Amino acid sequence: MRHTIAILLQNETGALSRVASMFSTRGYNIESLSVAPTQDPMVSRLTLVTEGEDAVIEQIAKQLYKLIDVVEVLDITLLDHVERELMMIKIRLEDRKRDALLAFVDEQEGKIISEVDGFIILEIMSDYDSNNDFLKAVEKATEVIAIARSGPLALAKGQAVISL
Amino acid sequence: MVYSIVVGCVTLKETVKTDKMATPTKIEGSAMIVRVLAEQGVKIIFGYSGGAILPTYDAVFRYNSENQINGKDPMPLIVPANEQGAGFMAAGYARATGKPGVVLVTSGPGATNTVTPVRDAMADSIPLVVICGQVARDSIGTDAFQEAPITSVMGSVAKHVFLVTESEKLEATVRAAFEIAASGRPGPVVVDVPKDIQNSMVIPDQDSRLNIAAYRGRLSQIQGRELNDAECKKFFNYLGQSERPLLYVGGGVIAGEASESLRGFAEKFQIPIATTLMGIGAIGTQSVLSLKMLGMHGTAYANYAVEDCDFVIAVGARFDDRVAALPKKFAPKAKAVAHFDIDPSEIGKVKNVDWFHIGILNKAIAKLSDYSDQNNLAFNFSSWLDETQELKIKHALSYDRESNLIQPQMVLEEINKLTKGKAIVSTGVGQHQMWAAQYFDFNQPRQWLTSGSMGTMGFGLPAAIGAQFAKPESMVIDVDGDGSIRMNLGELETVTAYDLPVKILLLNNAGDGMVKQWQKLYYGARFSGSDKTLRQKDFVMCAKSDGFQYAEQLTEKKDVVKTIKQFIEFPKAAFLEVVIDPDAMVYPMVGPGMAYDQMVTGEFISSRDTDQEIDEIDPNAMF
Repeated sequence: MRHTIAILLQNETGALSRVASMFSTRGYNIESLSVAPTQDPMVSRLTLVTEGEDAVIEQIAKQLYKLIDVVEVLDITLLDHVERELMMIKIRLEDRKRDALLAFVDEQEGKIISEVDGFIILEIMSDYDSNNDFLKAVEKATEVIAIARSGPLALAKGQAVISL
Repeated sequence: MVYSIVVGCVTLKETVKTDKMATPTKIEGSAMIVRVLAEQGVKIIFGYSGGAILPTYDAVFRYNSENQINGKDPMPLIVPANEQGAGFMAAGYARATGKPGVVLVTSGPGATNTVTPVRDAMADSIPLVVICGQVARDSIGTDAFQEAPITSVMGSVAKHVFLVTESEKLEATVRAAFEIAASGRPGPVVVDVPKDIQNSMVIPDQDSRLNIAAYRGRLSQIQGRELNDAECKKFFNYLGQSERPLLYVGGGVIAGEASESLRGFAEKFQIPIATTLMGIGAIGTQSVLSLKMLGMHGTAYANYAVEDCDFVIAVGARFDDRVAALPKKFAPKAKAVAHFDIDPSEIGKVKNVDWFHIGILNKAIAKLSDYSDQNNLAFNFSSWLDETQELKIKHALSYDRESNLIQPQMVLEEINKLTKGKAIVSTGVGQHQMWAAQYFDFNQPRQWLTSGSMGTMGFGLPAAIGAQFAKPESMVIDVDGDGSIRMNLGELETVTAYDLPVKILLLNNAGDGMVKQWQKLYYGARFSGSDKTLRQKDFVMCAKSDGFQYAEQLTEKKDVVKTIKQFIEFPKAAFLEVVIDPDAMVYPMVGPGMAYDQMVTGEFISSRDTDQEIDEIDPNAMF
């Protein structure tokens, strides 16, 4: 099962690489990873998507907790949560397909954020699975030149902050 | 600063310094490092100098000359032939004492040469503090002379690594390194110190602490955990339902300084003990309750006891592949498994257990003992204990006693007769290591120093040197193989340079014996890369060239007893090469990826299995 894990990490030299290295040395997969500061300047929040059975996710959490810089590990998947991922897709569009595609983008609440020399950049922000569906539809309709995805970000709803 | 020691874990008690009024005198960063080492009670440093660590080497020199005790250095600096040697010396010191071993090396190659001992210490949970020089901050990342990315390299192998980027944090960082290395599940911590920070002027503040609040919080939570009555009750329910309980004891008991309470617990309830390679010494090997080592090359009787037992009590052990290659088939008759550990990640990592406790072992054992007293619990495992005593007699270790060639086991038995379980023994890795684990007696923990998890050849000689510094009054013997000793042969000179009475026993079978054993069993006796018969090295001459006054070669079986006696009784460093039967095998053997019921005991140990065929092995299981 896919798990979205949030890690609060102390900002120290090499802290991020130690997290990444734990995944590679123990053979766990990182599907996506995003890192940014939090309200505490000493702490960053990593949002990481990985795949694994419950026992694997439990080991990942326990191994993360052995890293000195790790403050907290949250498996957001276990909680009622919201998830968002920003995706940008650069396409080249033939004129005859234009109207149909733009209608679809509009319907999906996507946007065109750039159009230069026939190259269009679409933006969409939704959950990971919906973004995948959107991307598939665009790929079917036209030539995709480049994709940039932020990887999902997630927060638990309400008061809940449950650590593993 | 006040330390309270809780079973090998250092818990910080913050003390408030009142004298804040005095004008702070700045000192050099390098002197600051040495000051923290002294504050932490460091009695010895192992290391090799070089450009980026020169300021700190100078500070050590000045500290030693200014603080002489009876004309001696308070913090002697022991210089190996290679930084790997320094790492293993510090590890030998740490294994023999439980205190962090300290390594001081330069940047680049100095630091990378310690990667193997750091990983080795991590894998065996040994506390080390490795301080390495780094190029100056403004040179980092420029591919400067002797620059290496130590935070990245060590980050994957150490318990933690610090790169000191601000002078103000140097003192607290070195202090934190000791705290992290020794606390919880011990391990190596690396502190990478740029040269300009060593040269900078800093204000000492002995109250300075690094913010590692998250680590401290988790640690104190684990250390604070108490077994409650319900948990005790459940544990004793399992024990009450059991007729054949077995304690499976690992290195955690030694790291947790819990041997004594474990022995008390085992004796109170009369439960036999099998130890892992790392757990050797947790119980005296000659104790009635001791079944010696279990696992791939464990005693047949320990492994049969694992097959027969109905309740496994794992204590500071982690079901690793040399013990439980097939976790589901490990202790197949066990109706329940209990697991004590200080590391939450070990619970359920390999084998699911029915009962576990994460916390301080001494406390947990004391609580169980109290609970049983208060509830007048009594158990009778005497018939099981009798069974295990029969197993010990019937399936005792043995070897080809009639052979004309010197058998390695005979040599070890003869030494054991003289040392009587009191010697500190270090080893390399391979056949000689397993024979030593099988045939030596150990009365106490911290006498058996071996590279267990990493299996690092070359560990034995430097580890023996470190241990001899730690225990100058003890007999320290390095049992080595010809393959292993070659890896750090340069350290022979270190033994004599510091006039250490280390005994080096080289069991020479002209090759990498364990590799040859596997090639014999599983690769059609094709000795790819493992035969050393063409090597012309004269080991005795090597030892002599490094100043060993006793350096002998033993080739005749009839001379074994006499020569061993001379060797062991020689008052100074002694080197004995024994030319052993090159075909001697290590038995029993549970093949890689196999269950204990497939154990092969060889020609000389009686098996209760009539089928002694070597089973076909899944090549993927062969590591």
